[in-house]
Amino acid sequence: MDGLIAFWAESGIANFDGGQLLMMGVGCILLYLAIAKKFEPLLLLPIGFGAILANIPNGGFTDEGGLLYFAYYVGIETGIFPLLIFMGVGALTDFGALIANPKMLLLGAAAQFGIFATLLGAIALNWIPGFDFSMTDAAAIAIIGGADGPTAIFLASKLAPELLGAIAVAAYSYMALVPLIQPPIMRLLTTEAERQIKMEQLREVSKKEKIIFPLMVLGLTILFLPAATPLVGMFCLGNLMRESGVVDRLSSTAQNELINIVTIFLGLAVGSKLSAEQFLQMETLGILVLGAVAFSIGTASGVLMAKVMSKLSGGKINPLLGAAGVSAVPMAARVVNKVGLESNNQNFLLMHAMGPNVAGVLGSAVAAGVLLAVLG
Amino acid sequence: MASISEQLYDALGIMVLGMALVFLFLSFLILAMNLVARKFGPVPQVDNTSPAVQPQMSTTAVSPLMTVVITAAIHQHRKKA
Repeated sequence: MDGLIAFWAESGIANFDGGQLLMMGVGCILLYLAIAKKFEPLLLLPIGFGAILANIPNGGFTDEGGLLYFAYYVGIETGIFPLLIFMGVGALTDFGALIANPKMLLLGAAAQFGIFATLLGAIALNWIPGFDFSMTDAAAIAIIGGADGPTAIFLASKLAPELLGAIAVAAYSYMALVPLIQPPIMRLLTTEAERQIKMEQLREVSKKEKIIFPLMVLGLTILFLPAATPLVGMFCLGNLMRESGVVDRLSSTAQNELINIVTIFLGLAVGSKLSAEQFLQMETLGILVLGAVAFSIGTASGVLMAKVMSKLSGGKINPLLGAAGVSAVPMAARVVNKVGLESNNQNFLLMHAMGPNVAGVLGSAVAAGVLLAVLG
Repeated sequence: MASISEQLYDALGIMVLGMALVFLFLSFLILAMNLVARKFGPVPQVDNTSPAVQPQMSTTAVSPLMTVVITAAIHQHRKKA
């Protein structure tokens, strides 16, 4: 009989509290979004499952010595997982479209306004009772506007580890929602005639240019913004492995096996931060709202910058391209292509949009470096 | 309340500084990319490839004569056998 009572006392049913059940529900919603809706399934599936594991009473996954504890401690607290992912993203990225049309970097820069505007917004939220964001919290939330998962996780782990779960979930959810969030903003800010603008064909890019590009980006970062070198450095390493053509084995590992393995553990570790006491806060609600605002402002400022450039160039640049300046590679570029095709079914903007799209990755890494340098 | 507006002021400062730095950084990158493109950009390859292709064309142009010679030689060889 004593054995039975001890068994009962250890069972999940006897130990559940409301918060844990609710968080398991959140985990199930994430699984549903990943499996049924195919929203960023590569990340939301492990994150959702991690959220369920982390809220098992007496499971011990997140206690010291547990799997999720170590995954978080080793990979995220140190910043290693997001950086390894960034190396893989570098190995996956073809900068050809950007090298052919360097001006697109300006769109990648303009779209980062979403980040800095949200910084203001997060601080302004402090006027509402129940919110108390410090400047570092605000910076970590604002980076959601960079629309770049690894960058957001890296910055949050450095500046506001206690908000990491909510920030990562917001960042990846909104990235999945890019096809819903962006088009209305893009249509609102452009005219039909502007959306129909056709772009000149991109010039060819030599192999030397592609090899020199990552080295050049790294050089500039070393000179001006060393705080961004962890992100930019790993990104450039991955890209150099790809473009040099002499280490195809390493490049293929970085963009396949390694990034996949790291993604599993990164997702689980982020999910482990979705515990009831950390997630069920007013602040989470604020983060979700601010994330959507950051995304929208980023899209709008990118489009507005593209409009200015379009006017200055005498109508050679399609303003829709600006929306691709928030990173979210390649989803944002596909959205630009789709909205462009709606206005003119012969106008394929995808290759042109890849330029500002990869510029956005650089832009958000630079913005993260600025925030780290100023607040870190 | 005062501290929030102070923080807002700080955030505004970071916003201006941050956007300026991002633009400055990426503008430098544009300059550098244009320099690299001028030095290492693809040379008009059409000129390079066409002379390389032409000799091949001329050998194939000669080849009908060669084939006649070769077939004649084979014929002779077979007649011997």
